[in-house]
Amino acid sequence: MNYKNINKVALVAILLIAFGLPLVIRSATYLHILVLLFFYAYLTTSWNLVGGFAGVLPLGHAAFVGIGAYTSTILFLQYGISPWIGMLVGGVLATIAGILIGLPTFKMRGAYFALATIAFAEGFRVIVENIDYIGPFKINGPRGLQIPPLDIGLANFMFASKEPYYYIILIMLVAVVVLTYVISRSKLGYYLNAGGEEPEAAMALGVNVARAKLIAMAMSSFLTAMAGTFYAQFTLYIHPKSIISLDLSFEIAFIALIGGRGSIAGPILGALLLRPVGDFSRIYFGDTLPGMHLIIFGLVLILVMHYQPRGLQEPLTRLYNNLIRRITHNTTGR
Amino acid sequence: MVLLEVRGMTKEFGGLRAIDSLDLTIEKGQIFGLIGPNGAGKSTAFNCIAGAFAPTAGVITFNNETINGQKPWNLCKKGLARTFQIVKPFASKSVLYNVMVASFATTNSRQVAEEKAIKVLESLNFADKKDILSSNLTIADRKRLEIARALATEPKLLLLDEVMAGLRPNEVDEMVEVLKKIREQGTTIFVIEHIMRAIMALSDRIVVIQFGKKIAEGTPKEIANNENVIKAYLGEDYVAA
Ligand SMILES: Nc1ncnc2c1ncn2[C@@H]1O[C@H](COP(=O)(O)OP(=O)(O)OP(=O)(O)O)[C@@H](O)[C@H]1O
Ligand SMILES: [Mg+2]
Repeated sequence: MNYKNINKVALVAILLIAFGLPLVIRSATYLHILVLLFFYAYLTTSWNLVGGFAGVLPLGHAAFVGIGAYTSTILFLQYGISPWIGMLVGGVLATIAGILIGLPTFKMRGAYFALATIAFAEGFRVIVENIDYIGPFKINGPRGLQIPPLDIGLANFMFASKEPYYYIILIMLVAVVVLTYVISRSKLGYYLNAGGEEPEAAMALGVNVARAKLIAMAMSSFLTAMAGTFYAQFTLYIHPKSIISLDLSFEIAFIALIGGRGSIAGPILGALLLRPVGDFSRIYFGDTLPGMHLIIFGLVLILVMHYQPRGLQEPLTRLYNNLIRRITHNTTGR
Repeated sequence: MVLLEVRGMTKEFGGLRAIDSLDLTIEKGQIFGLIGPNGAGKSTAFNCIAGAFAPTAGVITFNNETINGQKPWNLCKKGLARTFQIVKPFASKSVLYNVMVASFATTNSRQVAEEKAIKVLESLNFADKKDILSSNLTIADRKRLEIARALATEPKLLLLDEVMAGLRPNEVDEMVEVLKKIREQGTTIFVIEHIMRAIMALSDRIVVIQFGKKIAEGTPKEIANNENVIKAYLGEDYVAA
């Protein structure tokens, strides 16, 4: 067996395990934790399109989650439109928002871009928190929106058990990872990496850097908003603090930086590591020290940045490659 | 046939006039040299021509089209490529990746881009290093990577900013041969260089600038014997003596 074949086998094995897990894990609590883990892996992978490949640090992606969640929920509650359609409408609105933010900010350097995205997301949260209606649409301010689970079924994106949600978010995750892989090997992927690393050189070589970043931002916002709809349907209750919070934006960035931004495996590895840490900290410190998980993430980030500035993805990939080399060596050498 | 024509090009930074109404004409197929003391404005001239800066005044005509103020990526697609005096590799990427970014200028297909990149690397005797991380290259190889990337965009005119600085004498000779070969394959070359031996051996024609102004123009032989040039490089006393 050669290297490529082993990779394929490993990939199939991981997919089989992921799709088979609900057959083994029957506890709703554990499934819930896994759903959120995939949800964060999905969010971070979507974020990575712009935050990883394009070399900027967006810190306001919660706004897109919020746009997705509120759009589909309002359309469903007020007009009976299926959340599946609402998901696409939310995606389009988030894309427009993403482009409007990107246009003036992508020319900014480093910290200014990050601050601008924070300002946008916080502004959006404050608005949602303080108004009850936008035109005919009921937002309901800080109280948020509740979706009554009356018509359960696929058409309404509502289920009585966790399994369907598990499979939906898993499929969404696989799809966005495949998309990332395809983009990273395409002209756009090369242009994003080049523009992120050395914009002047990239421009001289024919790369319209700002345009590539805008395209990445548009895709990233669309995909992020879709996760917002998923979250709304999963919890059936959304309010500004839960989905438009800085916490959420920061957690995505933490997962990306610790896992390895700009890589395909990084966001997944980051979520695998940080989500359980976060969950335990919320269980044990949730009452006494809320926000403890962010402090822990901060500490982990400092350690990782010090020893592995390109994220955990790098040493783990090296380990994996060594392992495979040893296996192939043993089988061919016998 | 005229490929590049610069008329009255001026570039000011605040109060400093880095280029002062510069004129020059480059014919297709030439190797055209630009020399001058440190800070004379050579790189600034390149930056204006390649679209990195908009010139304060003047007209730049490339391939019968006025190109003032056009964006660098559009100029690149029109056949104007440049290297940077201070090399700018995509450091976290391999040599091949670096060159592929450039070869995507003329194709959307990854496979075509890769084939083109490898061809360019082979023509520069560089293909054996294609998988090396560009941050691990020697200075000579980084300069070579700058050229490889610029070539991979399939330029009509190649602007080379001190690609021989920091090279050992034998590497300079090698580079001279490489540039001659590039010209033979049909690319016009506009080159800034401090190494006189190289620029004299290469150029069909040379322009000398000082304080942003042209002080001499001619064949290498004419330049070598020009009094203004000797003054600019060696000071008044030398000529008087
Ligand atoms: N972006 C800039 N902003 C302000 N001043 C600049 C800028 N770029 C160059 N200058 C100034 O313009 C003048 C010409 O600089 P330039 O880099 O073009 O010289 P050069 O001939 O390429 O010199 P060298 O041989 O050292 O490379 C210098 O005085 C320099 O300080
Ligand atoms: Mg210079």
